[in-house]
Parts: sequence; structure tokens; C-alpha cells
Amino acid sequence: MRRRPNYLAGAGSLLWLFLVGLPLYVMLAATLRSRGDYAEGGPVSIPDSFTLDNYTGAFDSGFGRYFLNTLVVTVCVVGLVLLLVPPLAYAIVRSRSRATSLIFRLFLLGLAIPAQAVIVPMFYLISEAGLYDNLLGVILPTAAFCFPMSALILSGAMRDISPELFEAMAMDGATPRRMFFQLVVPLSRGGLSTIVVFSALQAWNGFLFPLVLTQSDSTKVITLGLYNFQTEHGIDIPGLLGAVVLSMVPVLLVYLFARRALVQGLMGVGGK
Amino acid sequence: MKTRARLPRLVACGATLALALTLSACGDGNGGGSSDDGKIHVLVYGDAGNKVEKQIVDTFNKTSKVKAVLDTIPGADYQQKLQTIISTPNAPDIFYNWGGGSIQPFVKADLLLPLDDFIRKDPHLKDQFLPSVFNSAVVDGKAYGIPMRGTQPVLLFNNKKVLKDAGVEPPKTWDELLDAVKKLKASGVTPIALGGGDQWPTLMWFEYLYDRIAGPGLFEKALGGDKEAWNSADSKKALSMLRELVDAGAFGKNYDSVKYTNGASPALVAQGKAGFELMGSWYYSQQLEDAKEFAGKDLGYTTFPTVPGGKGEPGNVVGNTNNFYSVLKKTKHPEAAAEFLKLMYSDEFVKAQMAIGNLPTTTNTEKFLDTAASPDYARFQYDLVAKAPSFQLSWDQAYPPSAITPIHQAVQQFFNGQLDEDGFIKAMQALPTE
Amino acid sequence: MTTQITSPPPTAEPRKRARRRPDGSYTAKVARPGFGWAVPATVFFALFAIVPLIAVAVLSFMSWNGLGSPEFVGMDNWTRIADDPVMINSIWLTLLLTALGVIIQTPLSILLGVWAAGNQRNRAVLSAIYFIPLLLSSTAVSVLWRALLDPNFGIPARATWLFGDGNLFGKQATAIGVLAFVSAWQFTPLHTLIYQGAARAIPQVLYQAAEIDGAGRYRQFFHITLPQLRNSIITSMILMIVGGLTTFETVLILTQGGPGTDTTISAYYMYQKAFKGFDFGAGAAIALALVVAATIISLIVVKVSGYDKMRSDMEGVS
Repeated sequence: MRRRPNYLAGAGSLLWLFLVGLPLYVMLAATLRSRGDYAEGGPVSIPDSFTLDNYTGAFDSGFGRYFLNTLVVTVCVVGLVLLLVPPLAYAIVRSRSRATSLIFRLFLLGLAIPAQAVIVPMFYLISEAGLYDNLLGVILPTAAFCFPMSALILSGAMRDISPELFEAMAMDGATPRRMFFQLVVPLSRGGLSTIVVFSALQAWNGFLFPLVLTQSDSTKVITLGLYNFQTEHGIDIPGLLGAVVLSMVPVLLVYLFARRALVQGLMGVGGK
Repeated sequence: MKTRARLPRLVACGATLALALTLSACGDGNGGGSSDDGKIHVLVYGDAGNKVEKQIVDTFNKTSKVKAVLDTIPGADYQQKLQTIISTPNAPDIFYNWGGGSIQPFVKADLLLPLDDFIRKDPHLKDQFLPSVFNSAVVDGKAYGIPMRGTQPVLLFNNKKVLKDAGVEPPKTWDELLDAVKKLKASGVTPIALGGGDQWPTLMWFEYLYDRIAGPGLFEKALGGDKEAWNSADSKKALSMLRELVDAGAFGKNYDSVKYTNGASPALVAQGKAGFELMGSWYYSQQLEDAKEFAGKDLGYTTFPTVPGGKGEPGNVVGNTNNFYSVLKKTKHPEAAAEFLKLMYSDEFVKAQMAIGNLPTTTNTEKFLDTAASPDYARFQYDLVAKAPSFQLSWDQAYPPSAITPIHQAVQQFFNGQLDEDGFIKAMQALPTE
Repeated sequence: MTTQITSPPPTAEPRKRARRRPDGSYTAKVARPGFGWAVPATVFFALFAIVPLIAVAVLSFMSWNGLGSPEFVGMDNWTRIADDPVMINSIWLTLLLTALGVIIQTPLSILLGVWAAGNQRNRAVLSAIYFIPLLLSSTAVSVLWRALLDPNFGIPARATWLFGDGNLFGKQATAIGVLAFVSAWQFTPLHTLIYQGAARAIPQVLYQAAEIDGAGRYRQFFHITLPQLRNSIITSMILMIVGGLTTFETVLILTQGGPGTDTTISAYYMYQKAFKGFDFGAGAAIALALVVAATIISLIVVKVSGYDKMRSDMEGVS
């Protein structure tokens, strides 16, 4: 089906592109210039030097190790979310039991818990479990704090599955288990990819839990490493942004890759 | 739809992989930070300066049977993390701090080891350091910290060229400063750059003016719990002089939107858009990084102007005396800790600190002043600190941590007019002193 | 991970279908999952979030500076924060910023999301760019915007007709405006992502039918797209509300609650109390109040919208 181009939407999206793009340009430009050039020209000027020092500097400050740690945390958090949240969301959407309705409220409550608020008891909990300064001690709470939002997003997606489809499967005598694997999971792919993106970002950008729950260099994650560019009385902005750009490259790649797969998948569905 | 049925299996595979990775990650997690692994843990503020701390730990480990491990906590959240872990088994043995109020709560909670025994065994642990600096980590008459980085007195920096163009000499007295403000304003530049967005640069103006007018006694009294000190005539005089300076347009209009920490206020001075900036001595190396040419040619520095009739000695300085290492009482290796602290006055330590632009506060520092990146500047600072009758620790570090936010808010609100004299005095009287 | 979910499986046609039940009994009753499905996630979550929250609740009745042992002080923390003018003020600021967030971000992200749901290639590229702010840590976002909004070297210096003396962070109204804008900049992509997913899931049949009826683009948007996005709008609004009530990092790095206490929102105030002032008791009380408030508001949204009923928009449609 062909539709006329929507000029208004196009113009609006271009304006937003400018608002989003300008800071991103500033960021990229800053990382490719020397600290002196940046300080002299200010953020919005055109760079007149070119250097990769800000990137090599990031690696010199132990970025490689931090990168691996962050990757481990992210993969594990996403794994835990994917393992535990879909069944939860399925129960929230499809179960008629009073207990699940209570659980839904519990997770709504959970949504409102700022990590800051519970960090002190969390520290004691993790210490008691012997997980202090261990990546697992970061992974478990980070994953748990992804649950409420993921459950909300995913149950929203699952609600949109037509009840007729469930009825049709019930006609075939499908068990809840079969419905889950053959109907619910495939049809909530959009929601699943959103929660993957969401929880991966939470883990990748997580700051507070790693800060309080780890200590040694061998367990440091990227967000903590970024602070190497900050001293007590100042920030090396090009250096910091260089590390920021490096840290977002993998996530952006995953997103681009996943996005293409997503679009293809949807076209496949549309063809039926 | 049917084609997607394989999906869950992939999900399950992914999850299994994730858990496997987790387990392998646990495998090489060394459980650092526990205090009974036969090592001493040294916890420091994480930044580029860690190079020297690493080097010193390596040197220590070459000879010591008990090994030291260096842990760093990144930036701004150091104090928060420290407070969380210090009374737990994960606490370090030795940690970085700012002396004064930053360790006072720990002393009160009986967590710190008085270093007097160490000093008795090795008097150098005290007499090798400049007394005005060493004393800012003395609480209730007992020494709790050994200086471990560089001293950072606050100086009045200027752009020589801007001053020359406006026909201004670096001011020696307060009136000369006011006069300079007038002339600089007339020549179209912001007289004084101020990173008001960070709040603590604003505080420096209070610290110096109070010291010049009332001497260090007023603040000491206030810190000791005498709230009336804030209500004294000297206090009011300092406030009215600050008011006069702000109202004269010395800082321009948008200083609250300018930050020092992102390099914006130093850039104003470096690019000739402002004449002065009051800042800690780290300013010099900041300018050297950001504006090399300016730093080499036009960056001037003087002490803070004197106030005629004021009770404070003209030689008094304020700022960060130094950073300190303190030792926890529960450390299992006090002898090793003492040995480690002895390195803080070694020649190697002094040279390494000088090489990264810090100015240590040991008595042997003088020997190495010529090895500094800018010997003149190093000597100026060293003489200033060594001869200072009093070195006032920054207010926000002298008070216990719970007072930091109220102090910062009050100075910002006084500058922008949200608080008047009485309001400011009340805010300071409400500060917790212990 | 993402690729594993979204990429098409290499071979089609799973063999599971072989195990079909004998088809004698076509009951109208649809088998529903039991409570058990929710148990693993709930237990995990309770351990790492609810248990610490209970500890926080207990802490809110105690006086503790992080050192030594906490002392029970009854309602002291609560009465103290109830009488604290900064606290009262912070509640209004929080509500204001939350409302601004919802008002700015909802229309913006719906439009962007629906627009990005199209399949043209340029949209794919553009929406990848739109997505980037979400990848930046709050520190990076705040550092960037603080530099961009610097009155002497940033945008205000080049557009004095708009910004005047550029003292954006020195006055309450503009400081709040900057905070609302920067959060919108940072979080709109997440909501756009939600709407994009939901807009893709709208059956094309509906639009084809409307086209045949001669409905124009705007009628299609208001009569098909918006109603079909209802669940997502509610989801996204709940996220914005609780997000607005609990965000503090932007404030921490952009304004530090200033000028004075003019942008000290409740979540930031909690952080100040607990981690700057080490008054963990008062911090816990504020935190708990925030959690309760956010939950009540979410529950109201859920109730009013009927979100928790097992209803789907599809029911009325096909």
C-alpha cells in the first residue's frame, strides 16, 4: 500500500534530528580534537586539530578490562531478564488468579523504587552473600531492577495479542505452556526486543550498583572508568567523551543489527 | 507464526550462555576488598593522579612481606562509598581523605587509629612535614593523617595582558581590587571569572575575606560550636564587602551558569574575556593543559589582597592543605601500614609527585623544587605555604560532611541575592558542627 | 542477545505439532497459566528489591549516619521532613517536572514512534540516530548539555537575541526549563521505541479499511492509530511518572539542586540527605514517601484506564 509522504511529520522529524544531532556532533568533534583546542574554541566551534589521543587515552586507562567486565554484566543481566520476565508477563496478562493481580501491583511498586533508596541495605545484603567486589553481586540487583519496567513493557505487548488466537489454540487443546512458546513469545517479539534493549542499556550504563558493590580494578565497569577523566576539581571533557563514544559503540551496533532483523521479521509476518 | 517456534529455544540458549558466563566471571573474581587476605588495602580517590599511588605501592611491595593492594573509587562519589563500607568487613586498611571534617565522624565512631604510636617510633612521620599542613588532620589533639599528595593553596590568578590593556596592576589591597574591577569593566571584560555553577569556587571568596578581616580565629570559634561568631561585627563586615564586590558587577551576571569543572571559567581568563580568577593552585596545570601558550606567557598569580585594618595576617592562606592517608583501627597489619606511611616523605615520593605537577608538603620538598615543571611557580607556592602563619582548610572540608550542602547553598544564595546578610548568618548558625 | 530473538530462525516448521492432543473435547474454556509462572521472577525480585525496601522502611524510623549502630527514634525523621520547607518545596518541584515530562514527551514520542514505524530506509537510519541519546550515561548527557548551554562559549553566546545574558542556570524558571528539556532529550527515545513497536503491531487491515472508507491521514491517526496505542500510552505514561518522580542524576550533574534550592526535587533531596549529609534515616523516609507516591499514582492510572483488566483493544476491532 502506497501512501502520500507526510511533509509535516518529515519537517518535525528534521527539527528533532537537529536537536538530537547537535549534541552528538559536539561530542564526536570534541573527541577528535586536543584538549587545548576544545578549551579554546568551546563546544560548538569547528575543530582545527585532529587527534586520536582521546581514544588511545581511554584504552590506556584500563578501558579494555572495564569493557569486558561491562560486557559480562550486560549479557548476564539480559539473560536473566529474558529467562524470568516473559513467564511473569504471561502470568500477569493471562492468569485470572488473584495472586497474580497482586504480583502485578508488587511490580508497579517496584517500578517506583529508586536504586538510590535501597543502596545501603543492598550493600549489606550483597556483602552477607559474600558477593561484594564480585561481578555477580552487580548482576543480580541490576537484573532485579530491570524486572518491573520489563514486566510492564512486555505485559503491554502481550495484552495486544488477540484473544481469538488463544481461543483457537485452546480448540487444539493447547496447554498454557504450548500457548506460551508457540503463540505468546513469537507474537510479543516487539516487546521482547524492547526489554532486551532496555535491560542491556540499564546494565551497560549502570553506575550506582557497580560503584557501591565493587572495589578493585579487576571488577570495574566502564561507567566507573569514565571517572578517570574527572579529577576533584575538573574534567578532561574530550577524554571523557572519547571514552563515552567508545562505550556506546557496541550497544549502537547491537541496536542497528537487531533493528534490521526486527524489520525483516516484521515484513515476514506482514507477508502472511 | 509457526516459523517462530524455535525462538524460545534460542532464548533459553542465550540465557544458559549468560549464566555460564556469570559463573566463569565468578571464577576469576578474586573477592578483593576483604581485609583478612594477608594484604593491606589502600583506598584512594580515582583519577589521573593514581599513577604515583600505584608507583608507591609497587615500591612498597618490593620489600614488604605484607603486600599492599591499591583500590580506587572514582571521582565525586568517593565520600559516599567510603562512608558505606568503612564500618564493614570490606573496609580498607588505609584510605585517602581531606583531613579536618572529612575524618571527624570516623574519629567519633572510634574507627581510626591515632598515629601517635607510629610517630613515637619514627618521629619523621611528623617532623618531615610542614606543620600547618600536618595539623589539619589532627583531631582532638591526636594525629590521624599523613599528607599524601600535594598542597593546594588558593591564589588570585590573572591574565597579564588583559590587566595591562585595562591599565591595571595586580591588586595588593582590597581597594585596589575594587578599582581594578571598575577599570576592567570599563574595558569591556568580565572583571573576575567565577564558576558559580560549582558553588565551591564562590566559597573561596568567603574564606579569604573572613580570614583577612577577622583572622583565622572567627572560623575556628564557629567551627568549635560558637554560633555567635557568625553574628560578630567582623562577620558582617566581610559580608558587606562581598556584597559590594558582587554589586559592583565584579563577576558579571551569568556566573551561576558558568562552571569551573568543565573548563568554562578558566577559558574566560585564558581567552582574555576575564581579568582574574580566584582558584586553587591546581589552576596552573589546568591552564597548562587547556591553554599552553597563555599559561606560559600571560598567566599571572598573586596572593589574595590584604584588607586594611583587618586582623588576619597578610601571609595567611586558605585552601586544601593536602590529602591524607588515615589508618583504620581494625587493620591486622599496623606495622606494615606504618612502613607504608613512611614512604610519604621519601625522595622517590616527592619526585614522583612533582613530576605530575603536585607540590608535596614534606621538608625535603625544597631540595627538589628545581625539578618541578615550573620551578618559579613551585617555589612561590612552597614559600607561601611554608611561611604561612595560618593555613585555613576550606570551610567545606573543615566542617563535617553533613554541612557541605548547606554551606554551598548559602554562599550561592548570598551571591545571587536570595539570602541577605541575616539570612546568610542564620544559615551558617544552623550548620551542624559535629 | 538481541539478534537471537529477532533474527529469523534458519529452518522453519518445528516438529512439535506432532504431539497434538486428541481433539475430542473442544471446550470453550481457554487454559490459562497458573500463579506458578510468576513465581521465579517474583521471588528473585522480592529478594533484591522488596527486602531492601523493607529495610529502608525500618531505617526511616531510625537515626543512623552509616557508622555504628542505628538508633530507634520513632517518628522523628518523619516529623522533621514534614516540617522542612525545602522538602515541601521539593514536592511541588517534583510534581512540576514530572508533569512537564509527560506533557512534552508524550506527544513527541507518539509522533516520532508512529513515524519511525514506517519501513523506508531513511527512517531506519534516522531512528537509529534518534536512539543514540538513550545510549549515553546521564553523566555524559549532563556534561554535554552543560557545555552546550555555557553562557560564554555555548549556544547562548551565539544566540543572545534568544538567551539574553545566558544565565540559564542562575534563575529558577530557566533552570527548570533546562531540566525538563534535557530529560526529554534523553528519555524520548525510550518512549519512541515503545510506540514504534506498538505502531508496527497495528494490523494494516485497519488502515486499508479506513482508506476504502475515504478517511484521511489525520482521521486515520486519531481514529485508528491513537486508540490502538492505548496500552502503550498508559505503559509509557506510568514509566514517565515514576521516572519523573525518581530521576535525580540530571539534577545532580546539571544544577546540583541550585540556584540555592530552586531545583532541589525530592529524589535529589533524598540523595543529599542520605549521601551528602549522611542522615540515612531522613533519606529513608523521603525515599519511602516517594515510592508510596509513585505507586499510588501508577495504581490510579492503571485503575482509571482499566489497564489491569484482561482487555485488549483487539477485542473491539476484529
